[in-house]
Amino acid sequence: MKPAAVGYARAGDVQEAVALLSQHGTDAKVLAGGQSLVPLMSFRLARPSVLVDLNRVGSLDYVRDEGTSLLVGAMARQRDVETSPLVAEAAPLLAEALRHVGHVTNRNRGTVGGSLAHADPAAELPTLVTGLGGELLVEGPAGPRSIAAENFFVGPFTTAMEYNEVLTAVRLPRLPAGTGVAVEQLARRHGDLAMVGVVAAVHLGPDGSVDLVRLAASGVGPVPVRLHAAEAVLVGAPPTDEAIDDAAATVAAAVRPPDDIHAPGSYRRDMAGLLLKRAVKTAIQRSEASA
Amino acid sequence: MTITEPVQSQTKYTGARIRRTEDPRLLAGRGQYIDDVTVPKMLQAAVLRSPHPHARITGIDTSRARALPGVFDVITGQDLAAVADQQPVIWFPIPEQRIARTHALAVDRVRWVGQAVAAVVATDRYVAEDALELIEVSYELLPVVADLDAALAPDAPKLYDDWPDNVSGSLTYRNGDADEAFASADLVVGGSFSHGRAFGCPLEPRGCIVNWDSFEGTLDVWLSTQSPNLARDLLAEVFDVPVHKIRVRTPHIGGGFGNKFDFYGEEVIAAVLSRRTGRPVKLLEDRAESFVATGHSRDQRLDFEMALSQDGTILGLRGTSYGVLGGALGTVGSGPPWASVLTSMGPYKIPNLELHLKAVVTNRAPYGSYRGWGAPKGNLVHERLIEMAARELGMDRAEIRRKNFPAPEEFPYFTGAIFTYDSGRYADCLDLAMSKVDELGWRERQAEARAEGRHVGIGYSFHIEPSGYGPSRILNLAGLAHSGFDEAVVRMDSGGKVTIYTGQINIGQGTHTIYSQLAADTLGVPMDDVVVVTGDTDSCPYTGYGTGGSRAATLGGAAILRASERLRGKVFRVAAQLLEASPDDLQIDSGTISVRGTSGPSVTTRDVGDAAYRRLLDRLPDDEMPTLEEVDVFDPVNMATSFGCAALLIEVDPETGTVSMLDCLQAHDCGTVINPMLVDGQLAGGLAQAMGGALLEELVYDEEARLRTGSFRDYLLPTATDIPPFHFYHQETPAPDIPGGMKGVGEAGTIAGVSLVASAIDDALTEFGVTVTRFPVTPPRLLEQIREATSHKEGSQ
Amino acid sequence: MNDKQSVSTTINGHVYTADCEPRLTLADFIRHQCGLTGTHLGCEHGVCGACTIMVDGRTARACLMLAVQADGCTITTVEGMADGDRLTPLQEAFWNNHGLQCGFCTPGMLMCATELLESNPDPTATEVRERLSGNLCRCTGYDSIVTSVLDAAEKQRS
Repeated sequence: MKPAAVGYARAGDVQEAVALLSQHGTDAKVLAGGQSLVPLMSFRLARPSVLVDLNRVGSLDYVRDEGTSLLVGAMARQRDVETSPLVAEAAPLLAEALRHVGHVTNRNRGTVGGSLAHADPAAELPTLVTGLGGELLVEGPAGPRSIAAENFFVGPFTTAMEYNEVLTAVRLPRLPAGTGVAVEQLARRHGDLAMVGVVAAVHLGPDGSVDLVRLAASGVGPVPVRLHAAEAVLVGAPPTDEAIDDAAATVAAAVRPPDDIHAPGSYRRDMAGLLLKRAVKTAIQRSEASA
Repeated sequence: MTITEPVQSQTKYTGARIRRTEDPRLLAGRGQYIDDVTVPKMLQAAVLRSPHPHARITGIDTSRARALPGVFDVITGQDLAAVADQQPVIWFPIPEQRIARTHALAVDRVRWVGQAVAAVVATDRYVAEDALELIEVSYELLPVVADLDAALAPDAPKLYDDWPDNVSGSLTYRNGDADEAFASADLVVGGSFSHGRAFGCPLEPRGCIVNWDSFEGTLDVWLSTQSPNLARDLLAEVFDVPVHKIRVRTPHIGGGFGNKFDFYGEEVIAAVLSRRTGRPVKLLEDRAESFVATGHSRDQRLDFEMALSQDGTILGLRGTSYGVLGGALGTVGSGPPWASVLTSMGPYKIPNLELHLKAVVTNRAPYGSYRGWGAPKGNLVHERLIEMAARELGMDRAEIRRKNFPAPEEFPYFTGAIFTYDSGRYADCLDLAMSKVDELGWRERQAEARAEGRHVGIGYSFHIEPSGYGPSRILNLAGLAHSGFDEAVVRMDSGGKVTIYTGQINIGQGTHTIYSQLAADTLGVPMDDVVVVTGDTDSCPYTGYGTGGSRAATLGGAAILRASERLRGKVFRVAAQLLEASPDDLQIDSGTISVRGTSGPSVTTRDVGDAAYRRLLDRLPDDEMPTLEEVDVFDPVNMATSFGCAALLIEVDPETGTVSMLDCLQAHDCGTVINPMLVDGQLAGGLAQAMGGALLEELVYDEEARLRTGSFRDYLLPTATDIPPFHFYHQETPAPDIPGGMKGVGEAGTIAGVSLVASAIDDALTEFGVTVTRFPVTPPRLLEQIREATSHKEGSQ
Repeated sequence: MNDKQSVSTTINGHVYTADCEPRLTLADFIRHQCGLTGTHLGCEHGVCGACTIMVDGRTARACLMLAVQADGCTITTVEGMADGDRLTPLQEAFWNNHGLQCGFCTPGMLMCATELLESNPDPTATEVRERLSGNLCRCTGYDSIVTSVLDAAEKQRS
């Protein structure tokens, strides 16, 4: 299990990284935290010609308050983001989701940008960014551009980025104070990629009806799925058990989960609905608690 | 029942929680495992494995690999077969069995994914793996036999063209009259139980370094093995090299679990590469390879039924155990499925038995040894069936078990098929477990949880563990081409310190510590004065079997006890001369020898050592041979059968099918407990492995016989958050046939744990009426069962 | 660019310098170039945790880093824990509580437990289990490891 021969270049900044990627073409690969890429290399399932290492690009390691949004640099370590007081206040769902990403040791090295660029449809961060309607900031030879989450993930392990673009940050909208959040997952073991997962954010208006809801599921298709139909059922009405059941009932039609050795697709489909109920209820409890 | 008293009178270390002598260097990172060993001029090898489950090899082109800089040699099956025999099989429990053997590298046909087809040796492992990618093999694909049903289908493709079918062999044990028992029974319960493929999966993969010196005609081998003497004998067979020209040494072993008992092709491949290159060759199995190259186990289906009378008395047991073997037989052949049959009656008196074994070959990897060695599936049969019977009869689960135990005075108890249990107090052990369930407050926890609508259950499993395999001649009779005795050398040196030499291997179970405890107590010296030497066939004695069958404490320990006892006699005879006293009047404490009941002069073992080795004149009795050394060979007259009752508190989420294990206990009896801390460690580790097999671990083959679980992302070992806390309680019923009274403990947890989890799940899901029969119990499988049970109930209402 | 690159890293207080192929993992560098074989390889794909080391004060899996990435880093391996032949309280606790059997997973367990106790000197058993859940042990069934870590925490607090 030794990697195949590979070249290595350490980028000093984003422009250098983009130049290196342009120079080496489609077989070059960005190396961020390495928690997903290096194992693939050890199995020789990934065999990039050149690794462009971003780990010394200090300018990508930050968490920034933008008022109505939170900006997280691509090379911010997951563990730092998870334990950041700013994140706890401005994007609690991000902190909650990060606690489900691998183990602490993985998160010490793993980066927010690395996980998003890897685009595993079963992973937490792509799902979270999809659910919150986040924005991915990328930079290429033509300069920076921004891609909405729902356009960013285009297939399993595939994004809308060009080969010579670098993910530089993710922007997450700040949710209103008092928003309750929840991450519900079914994983075979703690720390594993979940068979299926749901992230939820719910805000209740003064009359107790739902005035904001964000829902997304992981592990149910080629990309993370924003559960628009379920959101539509819930928004604007009081979150009764009946309403939540109705919302959950929309999930089956919204997802087409694959079979694998851990679970058949039908199990994932059914569980996505169940987890949606649980996540929404937990989010509501937390929203009431913090309102 | 006769109970042999432990041979030593005073006990100082035996029975105490003593921390291990092995640990400090391991904690400091100073251990030396196989990949930590380097030998001068060493090269590194790697193996090319078949991507196909069944194919004819029509050509292999190694030219590009050979041309890669850094590559020293590339070999194929034909190269290997020119100098090496096929891989040996040592267990032949089934008369007239068809034995499927292969060479360490496939010569013309592959029969499982991962079968070795070529090997490279190069400057380092990176280059060796580069070269593997340059070997071109052409295959002609053959139809596959993916599983048991496919293998037994009337028109099944055959793995071996000269066999009539895919059945390697069948065997039946009968006792009493099973037909009559079933005809007259009030109740018959039955089930088809299946255990998925799993393996011991030691955290350190296997490895070896072989140095073949063609000029000396010697093989010098470092091998991560539990059985260096077996490896030496089998290397001698395979290469037709005299045994005394082969030296096998073991480094630290990063877990064995039976997987490192077996003799693998990699040892042979490395030897051939070393012979051809004239260089020592290291060959390590990496983790990815381990899933196809280390022996698989557990893969069995057991169709059994039990006949009972209305009062819960078991009248009969009958059924068939299907061993789903691989494309060739591993070292132990069909041994484990055979042992399942022999343990299927468990701790219960069952007068009428009809037990069938059918060993079947498939296009899966070979079947090998894994802790428990068949007994976990035997346990599934009796523990699942007795709980099903309890439910049908409306009896308490403990009551029905108690009713069918042999009483202590009925031992030695013959099971009706091969095994005779030596001693036991089964009901006491059951009561001990039940009382601890009460003390720990599980019943209250369960009641509270149920009141909240949660599904919490308590499960039980009673197990027997035949250990200390076993009387050599009986093992030979049962088809083992090897023996069961153990040899030990106990030597006191010129300074009065003690060295023990044994053929047993330390695989983490703590043999060095317990052997020191036993010898120190018997000799009357401080534990610090004892060192244990293992793992070198040049200096250590012979073990008939290896470290397997839970024999290290029982048989290895007994041999050390007996040798130490005799050595103490000689120490006393020398000391008597020094003290001008009679040996019979002497006592020894912490290495100081004096006349019992007096405060007169004393001598130390140092004085005795000096008298026996250096300054003999007037000090060593004239009729004594110089030196202080005793050899003992212990071959038991019967096996020792330990037993225990485990209980588990579990919660099931019936909406998702997920299972959480909350708390676990085991009441256990392994005769004399040498070191309770280490015994607890054995029980806990075994239970954790069984829990993995019950809920998480499965080597999944698809219908094309391709392995789908090739990494730790797919083959799921339990982690610290999956395994519950443990509580252990001991009672001691000494083994009557083992000096010292010890019984084995290494396999207890793995035997009990799977049926334990099943019992707890059933109990948690009482309202649904679920009976778990297929393992591992994954969330989707359990949810499906819950839904079926629910719809069945609704349908019947 | 596939050429060897110079790597200089401080491990347990000593500077090690070598020219490495970029593909050489940090684990192989530590084990075979530096001779520090206490860092074990159980899976080489980042799941078992046996190769866990400290890189710049935080745990990292040595099989998931390339040696070239460690240039300029400060690393602690299991060999750097004990002071001469004096074990740390955590190592002592593993010894006293039978927190190891074969010892193969132990270096990684020690690293993760060290990191936990640095940030949380009084963890619950659940927190210990959670923190160690990324490290596989095949021998102990974990309970004795949890006990060891809790015991060390208690001794370090007093």
